[in-house]
This record gives sequence, structure tokens and C-alpha cells, in this order.
Amino acid sequence: MKPKFLPQFGRYAVAVTAAVVSFFPILWIAMIALKERTDAFAIPPVWFFNPVWEHFAKAWTTSGFSGAFLNSVLVCAIGNVLAFAIGIPAAYLLNQRRTPGRKAILVWLLISYMLPEFLFVIPVYVLYQAIGLYDTVIGLALVYQIFTLPFTIWLVRAFFADVPAALAEAARLEGATTAQIIWKIYVPIAAPGLAATAILNAIKMWNELAIALALTFDRAQTVTLAVAGFRGYASIDWGAMAAASIIVILPMAFFAILAQRHIVQGLSLGSVK
Amino acid sequence: MQRKAFSPYWLLVPALTVLALNTFYPVIYSVCLAFTDWNWGKTSNFVGVKNFISVLTKPQYRGAFLNTLVFATSAVVIETMLGLGLALAINGITRGAGLIRTILLLPLMVSGIAVSLVWKVLLDPTQGVINYFLSLVGIQGPAWLGTVPTAMPSIVMIDTWWQTAFTFIILSSALKGLPAEPFEAARLEGASAWQTFRHITLPMLKPVLITVIIFRTVDTLKVFDIIFGTTGGGPMRATEVVQTLAYQTAFKFHRFGESAAISVVFSVIILGLCLAYLRLDTEEGDAS
Repeated sequence: MKPKFLPQFGRYAVAVTAAVVSFFPILWIAMIALKERTDAFAIPPVWFFNPVWEHFAKAWTTSGFSGAFLNSVLVCAIGNVLAFAIGIPAAYLLNQRRTPGRKAILVWLLISYMLPEFLFVIPVYVLYQAIGLYDTVIGLALVYQIFTLPFTIWLVRAFFADVPAALAEAARLEGATTAQIIWKIYVPIAAPGLAATAILNAIKMWNELAIALALTFDRAQTVTLAVAGFRGYASIDWGAMAAASIIVILPMAFFAILAQRHIVQGLSLGSVK
Repeated sequence: MQRKAFSPYWLLVPALTVLALNTFYPVIYSVCLAFTDWNWGKTSNFVGVKNFISVLTKPQYRGAFLNTLVFATSAVVIETMLGLGLALAINGITRGAGLIRTILLLPLMVSGIAVSLVWKVLLDPTQGVINYFLSLVGIQGPAWLGTVPTAMPSIVMIDTWWQTAFTFIILSSALKGLPAEPFEAARLEGASAWQTFRHITLPMLKPVLITVIIFRTVDTLKVFDIIFGTTGGGPMRATEVVQTLAYQTAFKFHRFGESAAISVVFSVIILGLCLAYLRLDTEEGDAS
């Protein structure tokens, strides 16, 4: 029996209040995106209305927006492929306690994850200008490894720790190579954890602003920057801006609903282990 | 021999290479840059510690560091306490817990820039729905993001809405993982809810709490998106923080040397905090 700090009714009151506070701002923007221009900011607010979709159409066809959306999808995909290709073998090795320098490498990962963006953005900016990676999707996916790779290694290592070592020992005795052990035993067993890691990586890269702001201009602009662009217009089109915000929120909200349990597990594991 | 076969070190080579390229090159470059007056022109002169003196003495720069500290401290304290409170309250719920958790998770999925736009609309002094709600109970709402006294508290509030889910989720998982026996013993001895919390729950949660606090501290110190997206550092620099300052100094005024000095000083502060955290963590006894 855990202690009861609140009666059951109180718990539900807190839960419902928290849910309303969390959800209302998003709901409100969704409503503005679906309202006629005249209703959007009416005081008192218009609560019931016939939804119109023209703001979404306008946001999507705004110059560069759909291209930026595609760029973000590509950055998330490439960034994740890189992080897993490089991170899974490293995580396997760092999961084994006898690996020399294990602790130092883990601390190094943590430091890399915690560096402030503008410390590394200027040198990378200069380098990218020189070698032609400035304003490219690949360049962005590469520089995102500064936080994606440590996070992936850290988390995958924690998921690998739950794989029974006896399985690997048995496979080893039957002559399996390290690569086979990783791909045939560890990866399948830890698959839900890997999926959670990929989703958390995607959320971070999808939402990233500071680095994208400095390292892209036009061709590789991400969807976050495209949304930011709506602030800059002389007369702000609030309907289109609200619609653009909803478009950028939707894919990640979809992930949150789809994989809530795994995301929660991934986040907790990353902090507890 | 056997041992060697078990640790194929080359598996680490790609990761260490990328990590080295991504950390050593930029860090060394930035440190060198911080001692120059480079402004994206052809020449770049060594100026000694001039930039560092500017960082430490210019009122504008000191103001940004101070604002960052104020923001991080308030946001971390509020988010940790709120997240812990929510975790304690909601963990006992049986029905609809999954749905509640999913809804609470939503703000965390939203990009900082979308968060900014959402709250700019909500907090608009004349057309915003927050001030409309306040007017219903007879309160004249302020221009939240537009006046010096309310701007920073508004940013803290926005961050609280955005990030409390993080502290809530982790503390809630940690609470679920606590063993039941100590609570049972406390109940048998007739401990009050507060005593149980103070002497059993809190000490057992301490390692996770430290982790949560350090993650939130680093994250809030590095705050950029929600300030860039709402106030841009205004009004009258009331919300200017280190990262917006470093960004503007480099990419608006092209004083790359000074910007690098700002980031170097800032990194040293963050690194110091991380090391302090690692010490705290190992003092706990079992370093995993």
C-alpha cells in the first residue's frame, strides 16, 4: 500500500486540470486555424463555428513551406540512420563493463550532449561554407549527431542492458560473430526500445531551431524555420500562421499518441540509468 | 586471448571519430576564435583576453548572464515541484491514466517555435484569450510579453507549460518503481502522509530528482527557441539570455570573436555544473 496523499476525487481533479491546461493552448490554435478571419479574434471568443480549411491550404502553398516539410522529414530520416548505424555497435560495446575507458566515453557523450549550440555552430558554419555543406540536408543531419549520437548510444545501451547476456554467450559458443550477435539477438529483442529512441531523436531534430537557423538559408530550410518565417511578415496572417503551427505539431503529436508508452519508457530510462 | 575476442574495440571507432569531429574541432576552434577580433572579414587579429573582459564587464552581457540564471532557476524550481506534485497526485489514478499521460505529454512534442507562436496569440494584450478570461473576473490583464516586469515571468510560465511533462514523466516512473515495503512499515507505525513523503518518498527519489534537476538546468540555461520566437530578447533586454546574445553577436553584428568568448565562458559554467552533478551522483554510492 502506497500512501494516499489525496482522496481519489482530488487526484482526478488535479489530473483533469493538468490535462485541460496542457491541451487548451493547442486546441485554441487549432480553432484559430479553422476559423474565418473575422471570427478568429472576436471578443468574446466564438466557440462554435463551421470549420474552413483555406488557412491550411494557404500555409501549405506558402513559398517554401512544403519543401521545408520534406527537408525536415529527410533530416530526421538521415539523422536517425546515421545515429543508429554508428551508435548501435558503440552501445553494444559500452554495455559491456570490461570495455576499457567505458566511463570516460560515457562522460564525453554527456558533455557533447550538453554543449551550448552557439559554441559549435560558428566553427561548423565556417567549415560548411568552405566544403559546401552549408545549407544542405546532409550537413544538417551530420551536425545533429552532436546531440543525436550521444542520446542514441546512451539510450540503446540502457535497452541492451536488459537483454539476457546468456543468449549472447550461447550464440558465441555456436560460433556467431559479434556482428551477428548484435543484429540477430540484441537488435530484435531491444526493438521497441530502438523505436522509442528513433521517435525521441526525430522529435528533437524536427523541433530544433538554433542550429538550423545558423546553418541553413533557403534550400535546406527546415519546417521549424518555415514556421518561424510566418512571424516576419509585415502584416501577419494569423490564420495561416496558426495552420502552419498545427501542421508542424501534428506529426509529432501523432507519434506521442501512437507510442506514448515507449516514449515514456525511453525518457525515464535515459535519466534513471 | 578469449577476453580480447570479447571486446572488439573497432566497434567504437566510428562513434568516437564522429564524436571527436563534432566536439574537439568546434571547441578548439571556438576557444581560438575567442581570442581574436574576427568579424567575417579577411583579417583576424589576436586581441588577447579583450573579448573575455568584455563578456565579464559589459553591462549588456552581464545582464544576459543574469537573466539566464534567473530564468533557469525559476523554471527548474517550478517545473520540478509541479512535476513531482502531479506525479504524486496522478500515480494513484486507475482509470484513464493512459489518456491523461498522453495529453500531458503533448506540449513536450511541440517545437519551441510553435510554442512561441501559440503563446504569443494566447497572451496578446488586446486579442488574447488569456486576458479575455481575466476580464471575465474583472482583472485587466497586462501586456504579458511587452512590459519589463511581466516579460520574464511570462517566459518562465511558457517554459513551465512546455517542459513540465518531462519532470512529471520521469518522476512518475521513478515513483512507480519504488519498493512497497517502506511505505507499508510507515503505515503500520501510523506515519502521516507528510511524514511518509518527507522521510521515505523524498529520500528514495533523491537520485532521480538530482538527474531531473541537472537535465532541466542545462536545458533551461541553453534556452533559445521560446525567447527568439516571442520577445527576441526584449522589451529593453529584459529577456535577453546568453544564447540569444551569442546568436545576435555572431549572426547579426558579425562579431564572431566576441560571440565565441560568450559561448566559451558559458560552456565552462555548464561544464562546471555537470561535474558538480557527477560528484553528487557518485556520492550517492552506487554509480551504475
